[in-house]
Amino acid sequence: MAVPALRGSVRFLRQSLTIASKDLRSELRTKEALNASVAFALVILLLFSFAFEPTEVETRQISGGLLWLVFAFAGALILNRSFARELANDCLDALVAAPISGAALFLGKALANLALLLAVELVCLPVFGVFYNVPWTLQFWPLMLVVLLGTWGLTVVGTMFSALTVNLRLRELMLPMLVYPIMVPGLLAAVQLTTPLVMGQPLAGDLIPWLRLLIAFDVIFTALALALVETVLVR
Amino acid sequence: MDTRNFTFLCYGLLAAWLILCAYVVALVARERKLQRELERLRLLVEEKEHTG
Amino acid sequence: MRQKIMLAMTGIAALLLARNLYVMLLVLPDEKHQNAAYRIMFFHVPDAWTAFLCFLAAMIASVLYLVKNDLRYDGFAASITEVGLVFGAANLVTGMIWGRVIWGVWWAWDVRLTTMLVGWLMYAGYLMLRRAIEEPTERAKMSAVVSIFAFADVPIIFFSIRWWRNQQHPPPADLPPEWWAALFMNWIPLLLLAGVFLMIRMEQERIERQLNGLRRTVHAF
Repeated sequence: MAVPALRGSVRFLRQSLTIASKDLRSELRTKEALNASVAFALVILLLFSFAFEPTEVETRQISGGLLWLVFAFAGALILNRSFARELANDCLDALVAAPISGAALFLGKALANLALLLAVELVCLPVFGVFYNVPWTLQFWPLMLVVLLGTWGLTVVGTMFSALTVNLRLRELMLPMLVYPIMVPGLLAAVQLTTPLVMGQPLAGDLIPWLRLLIAFDVIFTALALALVETVLVR
Repeated sequence: MDTRNFTFLCYGLLAAWLILCAYVVALVARERKLQRELERLRLLVEEKEHTG
Repeated sequence: MRQKIMLAMTGIAALLLARNLYVMLLVLPDEKHQNAAYRIMFFHVPDAWTAFLCFLAAMIASVLYLVKNDLRYDGFAASITEVGLVFGAANLVTGMIWGRVIWGVWWAWDVRLTTMLVGWLMYAGYLMLRRAIEEPTERAKMSAVVSIFAFADVPIIFFSIRWWRNQQHPPPADLPPEWWAALFMNWIPLLLLAGVFLMIRMEQERIERQLNGLRRTVHAF
């Protein structure tokens, strides 16, 4: 009885991973979006230090906000391309017509975006540490967990709206306009967790409610996205 | 009734009602535009029916 | 017939508002710290309630559209979201003015106002999206998804900002009971007005659908 369900989920995962690896291979061939995103992130980090000239103490206190703003802005570039890259040669229509569910297509793309976004972020973190002279590895693994959870939230919502806005002329404007307000709780939780972690506080006590909020945000929006993505993709 | 801060109360109420009135104006403007478009299209359809 | 209903609703709303203004300004006693200004609350709070109700109705209509594929649900969702934005804007502006009186600043990142602001931005995005999509069924489908995402986010936004602010401001004290009656009494005329706006707007949506049909006829020749 459980076997067909199990086989179904295995096939679902395999389809998602196929899509994910296709997207990753396609991106890694040219590295266009990846390079643009990293460059953009570095520029923002640079501009911030010119704009605010923070001291080391001040920087640690705003580190969460600064980092997640950089991740959100640079991430939009990658998320935008996610479905947009399929427009040429009617690839999107082909993918939708293919015998995989919309949810599997979505999950595959989301996983690929997660990998790309994490790559950008893992470049940003050391650069941040160097530019602002802030030791950020005091709570390395908890910080990695928060970065992963926060990035997944951003990826899920961003990939969903990438699918939704793919045919619009003003796609590059509409995607951030729609995604950022929706991301407010997720980004807020990520920021509230990141700042203390960068400052070296352990992931306990006061921080746990924020962790729970971030996980809840991720779960709710992943479920919503998987449920609604089929509607958005079928034309 | 104490009249301190009464001016602020007036500004507040005025602002809220201005927003609602502005919306009414927008609705009316939109209505007019739609009616004009409707007339234009009806005329076009009649023309086509007579010449077709 | 519709016109008569709308006129009646507006009439009742006007009468109630007049009565409420009398109660608000003359009957209720002054509050000790804010004197006259607190009375703005009797519009500020029901504006928020109205906006919230509109967004909830929009979400329900969006779900119904996705299930039944009837464009009238989409028309309803679009109209009521617009009405919700209007009352939301009124809430934000009265909130800012009230805040200027009691806290001395135009914006204090208070929980409810911040939540309304984020919500307002989400639904403004909804309207912007609608303007960007011309094909009606496509537009209806995409807007419905955005509306569902937006409303699902509203409670999460509220709780997250409340936690954030509790680390800085303590929450405001509770309201005395005799004020609740006045709040509800003032909510009714606002709801009636919202209803009138909705009816006007929905009629306009219906005309738009008619226009689309006519446009197709004209171009078919």
